[in-house]
Amino acid sequence: MEPLTKTETSSQRADRSELVLTALDVTKSYAGRPVLRGVSLELHAGERLALTGPSGSGKSTLLNCLGGVDRADGGSIRFKNRALEALDGDGLTEVRRRDIGTIFQFFHLLPTLTAAENVELPLQLNGVAPAERAERVHALLKRVGVLGRAQALPGELSGGEMQRVAIARALAHRPAVLLADEPTGNLDSRNGAIILELLRELSDETGTALLLVTHSGAATHICHREIHLRDGLIAGVRDKDAD
Amino acid sequence: MAARPPVLRILWTRFAWRHWRMAPVSSGLLLLILALGVAAFFSIRLANQAAVAGFENFTDLITAESDGLITAPVGTLPTSVLLDLRQLLGNTPVNLVPVLETSAVPPRRADTEGIGARPTLQILGLDLPALVNLAGQAYGSGGGLAGTPGGAGRRIGDQSAADVYISAALARRDGLTNGSILSLVINDRPAELRVAGVIPTPPGRPAAPASLLIMDLPDLQALTDKTGQLDRIEFVLEAGPHRAERWARIKAQLEAANSPTAPRWVVSSSAARRDAGLTMTRAFRLNLTILSLLALLVGLYLVFQGLQGAVVRRRSEIAILRSLGVTSGQIQGAWLVEAAVVGLAGGLLGLALGWLGAQLAVQTVGRTMHALYFGRAVEAAAFDFKEALLALTVAVAASTLAGWRPARLAANTPPAQIAARAGSASDPGGRWLNHPGFGLALLVAGGLLTTLPPVRMDGGGRLPVAAYAAALCWIFGAGVFAGQILSGLGRLIQWLKIESVPLRLACSHLRAPGGRHRLAVAGLVCAVGMTAGMAILVSSFDLTMRGWIARTFQADVYATSDGDQTASTINRIVPATWQSIAADPAVKQANVIQGGEIFINGVSTLLVGHDPRFYRDYSHPAWVSAPRDDAVFDAARNAELVLASESFCERFRLHRGDVVRVPIPGGDRPVTIAGVYADYGNERGSLLIERRQFTNWFGSQLAASVILALQPGEDPEALRAKLRLAHPGLGVYTSGFLRGEALRIFRQTFAVTYALELIGIIVAVAGLAFTMSSLLWERRNDLATLRALGLRRRELSAAAALEGGLLAVAGLVAGLLVSLALGWLLIFRINKQTFGWTLQTDLPGAQLLVLALLVLASATLAGWLAGRWATRLPAEREE
Ligand SMILES: Nc1ncnc2c1ncn2[C@@H]1O[C@H](COP(=O)(O)OP(=O)(O)O)[C@@H](O)[C@H]1O
Ligand SMILES: [Mg+2]
Repeated sequence: MEPLTKTETSSQRADRSELVLTALDVTKSYAGRPVLRGVSLELHAGERLALTGPSGSGKSTLLNCLGGVDRADGGSIRFKNRALEALDGDGLTEVRRRDIGTIFQFFHLLPTLTAAENVELPLQLNGVAPAERAERVHALLKRVGVLGRAQALPGELSGGEMQRVAIARALAHRPAVLLADEPTGNLDSRNGAIILELLRELSDETGTALLLVTHSGAATHICHREIHLRDGLIAGVRDKDAD
Repeated sequence: MAARPPVLRILWTRFAWRHWRMAPVSSGLLLLILALGVAAFFSIRLANQAAVAGFENFTDLITAESDGLITAPVGTLPTSVLLDLRQLLGNTPVNLVPVLETSAVPPRRADTEGIGARPTLQILGLDLPALVNLAGQAYGSGGGLAGTPGGAGRRIGDQSAADVYISAALARRDGLTNGSILSLVINDRPAELRVAGVIPTPPGRPAAPASLLIMDLPDLQALTDKTGQLDRIEFVLEAGPHRAERWARIKAQLEAANSPTAPRWVVSSSAARRDAGLTMTRAFRLNLTILSLLALLVGLYLVFQGLQGAVVRRRSEIAILRSLGVTSGQIQGAWLVEAAVVGLAGGLLGLALGWLGAQLAVQTVGRTMHALYFGRAVEAAAFDFKEALLALTVAVAASTLAGWRPARLAANTPPAQIAARAGSASDPGGRWLNHPGFGLALLVAGGLLTTLPPVRMDGGGRLPVAAYAAALCWIFGAGVFAGQILSGLGRLIQWLKIESVPLRLACSHLRAPGGRHRLAVAGLVCAVGMTAGMAILVSSFDLTMRGWIARTFQADVYATSDGDQTASTINRIVPATWQSIAADPAVKQANVIQGGEIFINGVSTLLVGHDPRFYRDYSHPAWVSAPRDDAVFDAARNAELVLASESFCERFRLHRGDVVRVPIPGGDRPVTIAGVYADYGNERGSLLIERRQFTNWFGSQLAASVILALQPGEDPEALRAKLRLAHPGLGVYTSGFLRGEALRIFRQTFAVTYALELIGIIVAVAGLAFTMSSLLWERRNDLATLRALGLRRRELSAAAALEGGLLAVAGLVAGLLVSLALGWLLIFRINKQTFGWTLQTDLPGAQLLVLALLVLASATLAGWLAGRWATRLPAEREE
């Protein structure tokens, strides 16, 4: 079994300057109304980046374009040296399946699958062998603290538990990037804080980059950098010390 | 690198299968209804096949397969022909098998037993000693009847009971062994036959059916008063190469020896002969198959609705899967597989139900064919692997096709991140349903199609292809228009300003009906239109039949050979018998009916000798074209005049005043059609001539039946009892009994259509229920909002019930309108073209009202149930 958690020093993290995601002058409009008006950003391996801004400023739209669920109208997005705009629908889906983990505000667990099966699904989709799947699911559920609810259906879980399972599912196939759109938006502050802390630890342990859309100030504390979006343009970038 | 993931399998086991399992009732219902469609298709095909199996040439079961045969141009062949043939063919190596064939029935058990209730048996008279030589060909070494205990041709010292060979099936069924006595009615006389052995089954050939009996030729000739007469002579060539060519040479020789003016025989090939029996009923069977395909079609409409609803309910799941990296192609594939599996499961269930149904259908179809066409018994329908495979393939293919749109809908679901925004904007299907112009085009096309004639097939069958296509056009056209009715209805009710929240809510949804609404209404229009149209046909048929039967059976007593149960059995009443009946003091007037099958242009029809005056006075014919003067009823002037049935004219495309050439021994006779009468008893058509003429032409005095009008004050029942006692082999019926029987047989014929109607209604209402639950599922957040605003569950359910009810109203309005057109089409095109019968139209008002109320009530109930279910759904709130 591969170790799920690696201990690493801060010097090691500094070494990993490898670019995972680059956006260059991305534009997008809906029905002629511009929503993104030329946004550029870079995301390095292991980096945690917060995307903030008022409601309607285009955060979700940008995240969707970066994650390949939506297409930008202009500009270019490179994911690990592959230009997303050059890929067809199936190519984008392939990237999503292999290299991206997604966490949603409304958890979006599959209601007919148990917690364990939800986590197992990305592994199945990536063709991981059954024995290894079982081990990874076990380790992940244990790590996010819901091993006791492994056989429960999503309907039987609390909001905090559901989001933990969702985080385990998002990380199961060891993606390069974790995309999270308001992951604490539907949780109380105590549970929200627990989830944020979990995200911070896990991204450190696994070296997964995190792109976190949020409008809560607390959430930006776990990130290395914050990009502020306003009216589809970057209004400010702030380096933070997350540690 | 990881292995290629089995995405399809994951989607199936983790998702589709679980959903089916989690909703066992609705899944089971869907499968059951699809299965009913498949069962209708399968059972009707099996029943057809069983009925067709009755047309196999029985002789082939005994001898090696024959190559060809000769028959007399009309009537029977004299035995002396055998010698002439031998002389003609010289030493050509060919076996001649003379055959006499008759039908028989077991004696009736109860005096009131219905017509057609007893099985008809076929008796073949064969030259058994000669067959011993031939047997080697069919059975390999030894074998044949000669090998059976009792031995062929062995005369039993006591001649009181002739020997008969029976099938193993009959022996088993009735517990008969060698030496048992078999009681039968042959012609108008009871006969006792002694079982002399069992007909063996040659290797690799089908076993003899239970209805087949074999006797030595002279015995049967004696029994049927046909000494020196044969029905046909079969030619069996030696096995070996060039058999077809050898037969062709003999055929040419036989034809060359025939006189062109007074032919002695008609030569035909066995293969062609076998086909003729099949073509005769092809139209009937095709019509049934088309009906069964309609049943399948409505089953598929339901599969479509069911899968569409499932996609809607599982949309968020699909969206998440898309987010997790399942491609749209994989989603589409999974849904197509799901549709195919539904088809397979429904198909398998349908095969089981269909096989059961076939056992019932074979009775109905068989009896109908029996009554309409042949006197051949129909065996039970056997499970046929090829037919099963066909039904299963049709079910899976069609179900996959029905799943096509739902699968596209599923595949177009965007990933969860943007699915919430896209929402239910993508309205499934039916963009074409939005164009009244398209509907109009369909209606016009249907109208044009009704002007086309039917497709004519060999053997005189007709298939109203264009009329069926017209029906489809009209149904779909009306379906398109029904959407328009829906929005009109919504606006109308709004304009009425009724203060009711549920009504307002229901109308708000109908004012701008979506594709789902339109599709549900189109389904209702289809079902109501077909059902009501069929009801109009059946009721018109019933009215016409009752009138016809009441008019036709106006004489008092009818006597036929008890062996004669259908239009075409061979049994006859001998002259001594009918003369004594006619001379009974209670009888005022007797109409002696003689008749036989003739072939005009190779197409079989009936020639009947009767008393036209009796016919006019007691049967009150319903004239399609009445005779212009009395000549045809005047024995002095009607030598070359005939009355033709409407079916006859339709079949041969003739009219009053046309000349028909009737084949009689020694040549053709031209006769003129003096009048055309309606006859609903016989689809093959018949020609009526003066009986004296028939006797002159055919030299026969055997009667098919005798119809009696009694002296005033005489009791028909008393005469019936008297005749039955004096002639135990006669079937004697009073007109009252015959009327009842005739009606019963015709109503039985329509039993299948009633079942199909019922399926249609169930499917349409179930489709509506599926639609309502999909619609409400999509609106579950709105429902939660309405609940929060203070609406009670009851009010929300009422709104859903009203919506369902209003959908039904729109479907009923358009459906009943189109049913009038369909009724017209069925009566004046499809029925007229297939059977050649003109019917009086009858609008079964009460029946249609019941249908409308039933549909309205069940649609409202479906809406209400769906509403109750939907108000309990948890809302899914986003942003
Ligand atoms: N599918 C869509 N169709 C039309 N407008 C959209 C769509 N998605 C987003 N928008 C619009 O784009 C703008 C930005 O939306 P979004 O990216 O969701 O903002 P944020 O996530 O920052 O609140 C909003 O005004 C929103 O209404
Ligand atoms: Mg957003």
